[in-house]
Amino acid sequence: MARKPQQNPQLDMTPMIDVVFELIIFFVVTLVETQKKDETIEIEDGQHGEVITPDTLPAQHMQIDIAKNGRISMGNVTLLPDEIKRRVSDKKAKWGEFPILIRADFATEHTHVKKVMDACTSAGIWKLSFMAVGEDKTHERKRLSKMRK
Amino acid sequence: MSRKPQENPQLDMTPMIDVVFELIIFFVVTIKQEDLFTKLNVNRPAPASSTSSSSDEVTCNIELGRRYDGSPQGVIIYNKREVKRPELDSCLRDIARTSTKTPIIIKAAENSPHKALVDVLDICYKHKLYSVSVFTL
Repeated sequence: MARKPQQNPQLDMTPMIDVVFELIIFFVVTLVETQKKDETIEIEDGQHGEVITPDTLPAQHMQIDIAKNGRISMGNVTLLPDEIKRRVSDKKAKWGEFPILIRADFATEHTHVKKVMDACTSAGIWKLSFMAVGEDKTHERKRLSKMRK
Repeated sequence: MSRKPQENPQLDMTPMIDVVFELIIFFVVTIKQEDLFTKLNVNRPAPASSTSSSSDEVTCNIELGRRYDGSPQGVIIYNKREVKRPELDSCLRDIARTSTKTPIIIKAAENSPHKALVDVLDICYKHKLYSVSVFTL
């Protein structure tokens, strides 16, 4: 079983490449998993709005999620309206005027949306945007939209 | 089991190609095309300015409510009567024909579903009526 000393000793790259690819897969998969948002939210259709692309939405923006039961969250962390207000005014001091995107479920009662809007308004942001689905590309939503009717 | 020293040592590409194909299959299977999202901008009315601006201009008031059965469709009230989405669509088209700067005021009831608000906003955007404010009743 002993190896003979090679004439021209070379490092065998194959297992290393295998491991590197394995690592790439691991990190890509885990990164997708940690894209934080409230997954339960189902957004209403709105084909006529401004299309959100990385160009139209600046990096300095805020996205607030509101679930069907009224849970308000940012990055899947549940927050109270007061905390939203504090965060918005902190960001306003840093960035100036910035867009706030409200991602609310279609069945959310307006009270919960109002809480968020009031929090933003009292922090000095008057322009708010609601997120809607422009083009439905996932098939899961079609099933859910049938349930909606 | 010992390796023979090669005459012309070369990297064997076969396993690498195998792995790359495996990766391609993996990503093709797992990739999910993301929905294309849009945003509908609204203004929150400033408490002081809302009274002065509404007195001298023609505004369009739309109210939103909820059905008693609690359906997520919601009720849209325009000109003191319930309208369906196609009706509101034609009403707003007429308004937009006069002036696209007409301020639209949406008064949403506390219990109205968010779907109704987004639907109305979408119709406003369809007719390029962008000065929309949202009140809460």
